[in-house]
Amino acid sequence: MRITRLFAATAAATALVVTAAACGNSSSGASKGHAQKGGTATLAWPATPNFIFPLPPATNTDGYNANLQNPMWPLLVYQGDGGKSIVNTRESLFSSIDYTNGDKTVTIHLKPWNWSDGQPVTSRDFLFTYNLLKAAKSDWYLYVKGLFPDDVTSVSTPDAHTAVLTLNHSYNPNFYTDDVLSTVPLLPQHAWDKTSASGAVGNYDQTPSGATQVLTFLRKEGGQMSTFTTNPMWKVVDGPWVLSSFTSGGAYSYVPNKHYSGPDKPHLSKIINDYFTTDTAELNALRAGGSLTIGSLPLNDIKQEAELKADGYSLATQPVPGVAEIIPNFYSAAAGPVLRQLYIRQALEDLINRSQIASQVYAGFSDNGAGPVPTNAFPNWASPLEKSGGPYPYSPTAAIALLKAHGWKVTPSGTSTCQSAGSGPSDCGAGIVAGQPLNLQLAYSSGSASMDQQEAAIQSSEAQAGVKINLKSEPFNTLVSTVGTCNASSHPASTCSWQLVDFGYDPYSGLYPAGAGFFDTGGYNNQGGYNSPVMNQLIQATEYGSSTQAFFTYEDYAARQLPWLWLPDQAFINVYKSNLHGYAPLNPFSGGLDPENWYFTS
Amino acid sequence: MTGYLARRVGQAIVVVIGVMILTFVMIHMVPGSAARAALGVRASPSRIALFNQTYGLNKPLYEQFFAYAGQAVHGNFGVSFTLQEPVSTLIGQRLPRDLVLLGLSTVLALVIALPLGIYQAVQRGGLSDNTLTGVSFTLYSMPDFFFALLLIAVFSVQLHVLPPEAPQATSVAGILADPRALVLPVLTLALVSVAGFSRYMRSSAIDVLAQDYIRVARAKGLPERLVLIRHLLRNSILPIVTILGLSFPGIVAGAVIAEEVFNYPGMGLLFYSAATSHDFPILLGSTLIVGVATVVGTLAADIAYAVLDPRVRYA
Amino acid sequence: MPEPGAGTVAASGPDQPARPGHLGRPDRPGHLDRPPAAGEIAARRGSGRLILSSFGRSRLAKTGVGIVVLVALFCFLGPLFYHTNQVTVRLGLKDLPPGGAHPVGTDDLGYDVLGRLMVGGQSSLELGLAVSVASTVIGTLYGAIAGLVGGFIDAAMMRLVDTFLAIPGLVLLLILVNIFTPNLAIIIILLSLPSWLGVSRLVRGEVLTLRTREFVQAATMMGGTRRRIVLRHLVPNAVGVIIVNATFTVADAILTLSALSFLGLGLPPPASDWGTMLTNGLNDLYDGYWWLVYPPAIILIITVVAFNMIGDAIRDSLDVRLQRP
Repeated sequence: MRITRLFAATAAATALVVTAAACGNSSSGASKGHAQKGGTATLAWPATPNFIFPLPPATNTDGYNANLQNPMWPLLVYQGDGGKSIVNTRESLFSSIDYTNGDKTVTIHLKPWNWSDGQPVTSRDFLFTYNLLKAAKSDWYLYVKGLFPDDVTSVSTPDAHTAVLTLNHSYNPNFYTDDVLSTVPLLPQHAWDKTSASGAVGNYDQTPSGATQVLTFLRKEGGQMSTFTTNPMWKVVDGPWVLSSFTSGGAYSYVPNKHYSGPDKPHLSKIINDYFTTDTAELNALRAGGSLTIGSLPLNDIKQEAELKADGYSLATQPVPGVAEIIPNFYSAAAGPVLRQLYIRQALEDLINRSQIASQVYAGFSDNGAGPVPTNAFPNWASPLEKSGGPYPYSPTAAIALLKAHGWKVTPSGTSTCQSAGSGPSDCGAGIVAGQPLNLQLAYSSGSASMDQQEAAIQSSEAQAGVKINLKSEPFNTLVSTVGTCNASSHPASTCSWQLVDFGYDPYSGLYPAGAGFFDTGGYNNQGGYNSPVMNQLIQATEYGSSTQAFFTYEDYAARQLPWLWLPDQAFINVYKSNLHGYAPLNPFSGGLDPENWYFTS
Repeated sequence: MTGYLARRVGQAIVVVIGVMILTFVMIHMVPGSAARAALGVRASPSRIALFNQTYGLNKPLYEQFFAYAGQAVHGNFGVSFTLQEPVSTLIGQRLPRDLVLLGLSTVLALVIALPLGIYQAVQRGGLSDNTLTGVSFTLYSMPDFFFALLLIAVFSVQLHVLPPEAPQATSVAGILADPRALVLPVLTLALVSVAGFSRYMRSSAIDVLAQDYIRVARAKGLPERLVLIRHLLRNSILPIVTILGLSFPGIVAGAVIAEEVFNYPGMGLLFYSAATSHDFPILLGSTLIVGVATVVGTLAADIAYAVLDPRVRYA
Repeated sequence: MPEPGAGTVAASGPDQPARPGHLGRPDRPGHLDRPPAAGEIAARRGSGRLILSSFGRSRLAKTGVGIVVLVALFCFLGPLFYHTNQVTVRLGLKDLPPGGAHPVGTDDLGYDVLGRLMVGGQSSLELGLAVSVASTVIGTLYGAIAGLVGGFIDAAMMRLVDTFLAIPGLVLLLILVNIFTPNLAIIIILLSLPSWLGVSRLVRGEVLTLRTREFVQAATMMGGTRRRIVLRHLVPNAVGVIIVNATFTVADAILTLSALSFLGLGLPPPASDWGTMLTNGLNDLYDGYWWLVYPPAIILIITVVAFNMIGDAIRDSLDVRLQRP
């Protein structure tokens, strides 16, 4: 399926991993008795993985690698349980994680599972992973400065199934379990702790230089696509699946790991992953009624629901755990001064008819885009303000009033201009000169009919207050290459001339939709350079403290301050063969990919 | 002839070097950063710096060019930024797929177009000629993505008789082993070509028909069938030879739409995705290969022409 | 290379190859640039009046011109009588079937499709004509200069053309589209870039042939200046070739733009052209929204056919010899 279509080139897939889960959902569990043994499911993917070792370097950000790796090496914390946004304690590799010592000591108790070669999964394997990541320093594609492994002062392993982490700070357990430990896999130390293919396994990872050598070796092997299925190292897995074929054309398949320790063993005998160049090609394959068991449906094609059902498919939707937004560039030479004004961002937001976009463009398969937390994917973390529609409901009159109050001559359907330059309360604001037109360029990712419609609708409705939006649609990768991360100290002309950008959405890295990385100063996803000490403090309060009120305070502040312009967060729609069970409801955090739950009925 | 050959080869080398310089300059004019495209939105400045250093992108342009040219001369086209694989490996995987598809469709197009063109020339101005002219104009004027999607809509989605994808096998043998899946893509590419080729053949045959030797042959009482085959076909096929030689490089890039619609990753899509993600090594490598192919194709066509047409004299 | 101007067919032989079509259409017949048979060059020098009258008699020509005139009237005069709003998106009116206020229905943004066909047609036609004019002017001048000056400059100029020709048009466009922000003017320039190359080779070949002909040699001997020779003799004689090529270029440019739209590199909204409309409509091919697919497809194909017919008819009229079999 095409879960990361809009965000393909990034590390997005952390949130979309496939993990060692079995049927966590009661409804699918109930009908398990009818399971047919065996069968092959074929899935469609929009991109191909190229790295099998689960700790890719920072230079390899192919988000689809996680989809290749996680069925074999699941992450410590399994996220999502059926359709529910919770940690799936039953299916995770840990049996419990305890926070003590003022939330500065984390004790991880592992389940007594085995690797596929019969060796036990132990705390030594966790230590191995930790040592490799520590040696890699920042060269890990999921590395976030200050977080794992930077925040770990020491790791001890009192017994084979217990690992104790001492942290340098007390963290909110929700945040630490859901967003940090959920990025770490366990690796088989007894098979991988070596520095050459022919060398013996040792304890090389215990010294920093040894760990570096091991990591270098594993990363070299991890990129050799031709040996993905033959290298004996990659046969040692603790997940429910093992790779059975991998072609240069991008297709790969799994067969069950016969020694899988988890509670639910795979029913199907094979999972085939096929690569599709475009949505159109994939839709054609679905409509031709042949090969695909599971595919995704572009929202624009929801109209074909009836035909697909007639062809023997069912539909399942999943809300996307991310933020859909337009990012304003506060350091664009041309538009920065305008976009730095809160009243301008308010006016821009007032002019986006989000509920109409949600109902007409997304056919109701989205929320209304009220703030930083998507209300459908994170119902527990959406504040009352967001649930009520957010601080800025659609209102062209409010937008016009705001602009007029700040010294703009509003020309509906034309281009409004600043009349009263200056930084007083009724002036346009610092850096905006008299006569300056309200003219902005919005770049967005091409290739999706719904996106095209949404941006055209925004362009048209912004014109009501004389905000002239010039649209530029570009292939996702081109967009990424031209949209640099800009801030007060660094805004080179080559990658910071962009003004507004809409990538589609930005995914949260886990179950806890924290603002870190998005709206904090220097955050990895803060491309526009939003910089607010108040926001930084509120975000830290959500990471270190653990009160829901603190979270709502942050959330509402962000919703009102508009570091980004909020848009409806659309759902993914997947199509699956009606005789495939255990598939729906989809787990948004694994992208609905829990193939060990799936089975056919005749 | 030797002097002529030497001169042509000299020109060809100049052109290949020109292609290299031109491509190099153009891709470096594209705004944006290769590092960002490869590393993603969340790339930190330090990672970008590391990337630029690793691939020498922070050096002056001329230094980068000479470094590249030096490697390319030895057949080393570098490693793709985004796919992390040697460019030569990637091209080695993709090129044969295109050659199969385009080879088959070209053969099919010729098999249909040559007799068709001759038939139209003989029937010139008649009802059948006019009808066929109308048909080939329409086919020729149809956007190929529209034509391809119509074929899929009819044969795959409505009638369920043919798969909507080209063969997904990676080896040439595997592709040929799946003839049903080849039908629609080959047909798409061939029908557009048929329109062009037959039009071409028709006008060439009309020219030949007006020649004296055809009248002489007919006056001699040679059977019409022999006239058509021995004189008309042989003489009017010449320009098609030229066209074929010249088409080769174009088809390498020209298949991008068929590849996209029929989910058949080949050179066209490789180039397309590289162009959208600043993947310099792929862009340079594939342009260079296509450039060399064009030059060789032109040369081959000229030589074939010289051999086939005794009227062409080389001073 | 074949010595130009040797007075044999070789002059316009292999050195003047057909331009492989620039996009997905590698085997576009080189219409004009096929190696002419012996004697044809002389025949081309038919009097202008004969050409015109034969063009006028051609049914192909009449149909082609008729269609182009009708389509142009529809696109440019239509909006004067049929008023629609092609700027404001109205999602409430999206995808309405034909009938009532919208005789051809509405599209996915609530635009009236009939009105959009007119506006989109303006872009398509303007683009086709502009690309044709631009590439013809540039190509003609470039080719004529190279042909007349000759020697090293000619060789250098032609190697530059060869270099551009060695990079397939689509490849060139894919790189160039990324350098500039597309709008109609930019796309016109980009599409002209690969199109003038073929023209310049044609014109150069023509100039080389004509340079050796008696009337030009006579003019030179009589002391005519180079400029005068070009204007009075070469241009009128080469103009047939150029016009035919220009007509085909219009058709090709419209098709190329549609292919670019399909690849997501076409005109940005709210501008539109037939190719963009067709591409968007094809998203709904299976939804039964036929009014979003077939109207733009048909008008696009008909227009391209018409330009191809005109080109073919002009070429036929130039081959005066063929008029009397």
